Amino acid sequence: MGTKVEEAWKKGSAELLILSLLEDQPRHGYEIGKLIEVRSGGTLHFHVASLYPLLYRLEKRGWIEGRWVEKANQRRRRYYRLTAKGQRVLELQRKKWQEFAGAVGRIAGVQHA
Amino acid sequence: MPLLAKVKSFLRNLLFIRRLEEDLDQEVRSHFQMLVDENIRAGMGPREAERAGRMELGGAEQVKEHVREERLGNSLHSAMSDCRFGLRQLRKNPGFTLTVVLTLALSVGANTAIFSLVNALLLESLPYPHPERMGTIYTRISGSSATSDERHNVNGEQWELLRDNVPALISAVSSGGTSGVNLRAGSHVASVHNGRVSAHYFDVLAVQPLFGRNFSEDEDRRHGPKVVVLSYSLWRNVFAADPRILGQTILLRSEPYTVVGVLPQGATTPLNADVYTPLEPDREGEGGGTNFRCIVRVRDGATWQEADAEINRTWLSRSGRYELAENPAARVSYHSVPLRRAQTDSLRPQLLALMAAAGFILLIACANLAGITLVRMMRRTPEVATRLALGASSWQIQRQFWIENLLLALAGGAVSVSVGFLAVRELLFLLPEHFLPVASVPVDSRVLLFTLVISVLTSVLFGMLPALATRRVDLRSSMANRTVVEVGSLRLRQGLIAGEVALTLMLLAGSGLLIRSLIYLETLPPGFQPDGVMVAKASLDDARYHDPAAFRKLLDESTAAMRQIPGVENSAVGLNIPYEFVGNDWITLSDGKEAGHQGGSDWVYVTPGYFDTLQMPLLAGRVFTGADGPNTQKVVVVNHAFAQKFYGGTNPVGRYIDRDTLIVGEVADVPISSGLDPVAPLQTEQTMYVPATQVNGALLALLHQWLQPDWIVRTAGPVDGLTAAMQRALSAADPNLPASGFYSMKDLLACTLATQRIEVALLGAMAALALLLSTVGVFALVANMVAQRTREIGVRMALGSSIGQVMVEIGRSGVAASLFGVVLGLVFSVGALRVMRSVLYGVGVYDITTGLFVVLTLLVITLLATLLPTLRIARIDPARTLREE
Repeated sequence: MGTKVEEAWKKGSAELLILSLLEDQPRHGYEIGKLIEVRSGGTLHFHVASLYPLLYRLEKRGWIEGRWVEKANQRRRRYYRLTAKGQRVLELQRKKWQEFAGAVGRIAGVQHA
Repeated sequence: MPLLAKVKSFLRNLLFIRRLEEDLDQEVRSHFQMLVDENIRAGMGPREAERAGRMELGGAEQVKEHVREERLGNSLHSAMSDCRFGLRQLRKNPGFTLTVVLTLALSVGANTAIFSLVNALLLESLPYPHPERMGTIYTRISGSSATSDERHNVNGEQWELLRDNVPALISAVSSGGTSGVNLRAGSHVASVHNGRVSAHYFDVLAVQPLFGRNFSEDEDRRHGPKVVVLSYSLWRNVFAADPRILGQTILLRSEPYTVVGVLPQGATTPLNADVYTPLEPDREGEGGGTNFRCIVRVRDGATWQEADAEINRTWLSRSGRYELAENPAARVSYHSVPLRRAQTDSLRPQLLALMAAAGFILLIACANLAGITLVRMMRRTPEVATRLALGASSWQIQRQFWIENLLLALAGGAVSVSVGFLAVRELLFLLPEHFLPVASVPVDSRVLLFTLVISVLTSVLFGMLPALATRRVDLRSSMANRTVVEVGSLRLRQGLIAGEVALTLMLLAGSGLLIRSLIYLETLPPGFQPDGVMVAKASLDDARYHDPAAFRKLLDESTAAMRQIPGVENSAVGLNIPYEFVGNDWITLSDGKEAGHQGGSDWVYVTPGYFDTLQMPLLAGRVFTGADGPNTQKVVVVNHAFAQKFYGGTNPVGRYIDRDTLIVGEVADVPISSGLDPVAPLQTEQTMYVPATQVNGALLALLHQWLQPDWIVRTAGPVDGLTAAMQRALSAADPNLPASGFYSMKDLLACTLATQRIEVALLGAMAALALLLSTVGVFALVANMVAQRTREIGVRMALGSSIGQVMVEIGRSGVAASLFGVVLGLVFSVGALRVMRSVLYGVGVYDITTGLFVVLTLLVITLLATLLPTLRIARIDPARTLREE
């Protein structure tokens, strides 16, 4: 049962996570995947096969924008940055997530760290 | 996403797919490289780092596939690549592709052809404005011994009631069909089709003349002014499109008629005549019987309900007057029906039966195609397994197969349109002129849509079973085996074959019965010698020949001139000859114990040489001679059926009918097309022959309005230029009398039996097609068994089985399926063939001979189809097969 619920939570929060990571600076896909894993202390892990389709979907919605960047001695990398529309969505999603997590916390008796 | 952005994204994904793919590839590669770099930094060797990176990535293609699925328009793109792949697959298997496309072309083509007819006859609207407001009125006699659903036209009195008492309708009547009349304009003499119509006829059709006007009510009265309306084609061809034609006089029936109108180009009428003259309907003569065909149009603002109410009100007040003299219990009632239905009702059952037969063909084709597609799927099991192992989803595999089926259906559908078009063209060649009540049978957009729908539906039907079969592909066993033989799939294919053999048997039995019926009709004892007889028809609906003396002179001179033609042995004239539609009359027996008895009899006037020329055997008494003149004893010659019906088979010679008419001879019966009591298209019926010299002028005028007499000559053998010589002989007697046509007795027989011939041709062609498809089905089943079990056969032969034993073992599958199909078909036929009862003559529905012939034919052909592929078994080399093992 646990796996299914986790999957659903992960799916619901994935967009919020990616948008948050791009708020400060543009990043490439590999970096986004790694950061999610590292910052969640290994709790959250996105498989490549679901990360890239998700990035593509967000770009299609116009929330993020990808751009190829070439540096010396490096393969071309595609960096994603948050668009103005993405910024608005991020703020909204953050607020909703807070409300949601707070509500769940109040009912389930979970204290915020 | 806003619509505009969506469209932009869709177009970008479609147009710049190569760049998008390159980008995707680079992004995934770059991700992979970063994984490897990190692994190296963590201390792995380059190879190990790459391996670990690949493991984590989990297949670059799968990652890309997931991204592609997010793209807008991706499904279209993948459908297109599936199409390309499908086309490659079909090109790689030309035998399979050709079989499927040909099967579809023939089966869907048959459906296209039959549907074109249904479309033209039942679905296309009539070529008049607001056809839904048009109808016809007919009468029905209930409570009599006659079949109560037989429809009758209206008589003069009924027409007057309708015209004067039903204001909700614009009503008109016309003659039953066109009649041939002679047209003379300057030096031009021609026999043309004359339609006699009442005033308002063109108003009902909403046809406005190009020039001039329609007939007025004054012109439509007895002895009214002689006026004529010309058809557009006659005006162009005979009068060179003379714009001053209005008011000019032309000679029609040797009488001057004033042209009052010309119909516009493309205008059609139910009569489709060359010239139209006023019908002048009243209660006398023609109007004394139900000879007027009615057409009506509901007036603007009125409804059919109002019209029906008015008709019934009028009718009920007068109904007492329409009791039939010979059957007081009978009641006559009016019925209104939409015009389209009235015109095609008689053809509807045949058309629907043909549509059902065409549906059978489609089912048979589906069963065949399902069978061979199933085999193809089974052969492709390893390919399916490989694709599944590489990560394709079951849906993707299914979609691929469906797209291949759809491609086949579209190719087959495209070819079938041509097949259908050609079939319709051939069919129209077969049909006599004016056989169909429509001018053309077009392959229009509705027919094309039907073909497309049928093709796609067929592909769904034949693709369903194989598609279900591939859902059960087991990865491990399929990868291990090169081919998979499933007992379940064999049973399924046998079931399909049995089904198609059963349907084929029904079609063969149906067409077999029709063929037997046609043979019966064509080989009815003729009662005369049809070989060596040539017939010329000419219209005597001519003012000059209302005078009996002129009529007698014409007959004498023309027959004498024809007897002078070298090679001609004898010549005569008759109002009708065998195989033709014959008029009838009521007679009263006047002497003996039968005195006072009444009844209907067919009625034909003839010249003295008639019986000799046709070589009709004289059974008793004498035939007519030159001495039977207008002022001598009134005499008749009757046929054997007449003697049977009225005198119980005793010799009728010397007896009197209609007070003073003496029966002087009895001749053999000949087959005719009856108008008295039709039970078959050709039958023998009580007939009396009257000397042409004893027919009065009024009767001649009436008869010749409907019927064109026949000039017959007998020759010993083929005579060069006989028809030209006959026309010259006719012209010698009257230079202004053109023959309207020349026929051999074979032509006339073919014309009378046209419906039966067409039924045989159509159902026969479909039964032959069904037989072909079933044979191919059985052949493919057994051939496939041999191919699939080659190794097993080799092993069994190596172990000591004889070739014969193995052939029987393999062939059993085909024989069992066919036998089961035959039994199933016989069971179905018991119920289905009963509907054919009304179109069979001289043969029962459960005819043993036909049944045996059909079963034997089917068994022999399916046995051959089984045997041929099993012959390959003899060429299997056990040693080689074992080595391959």
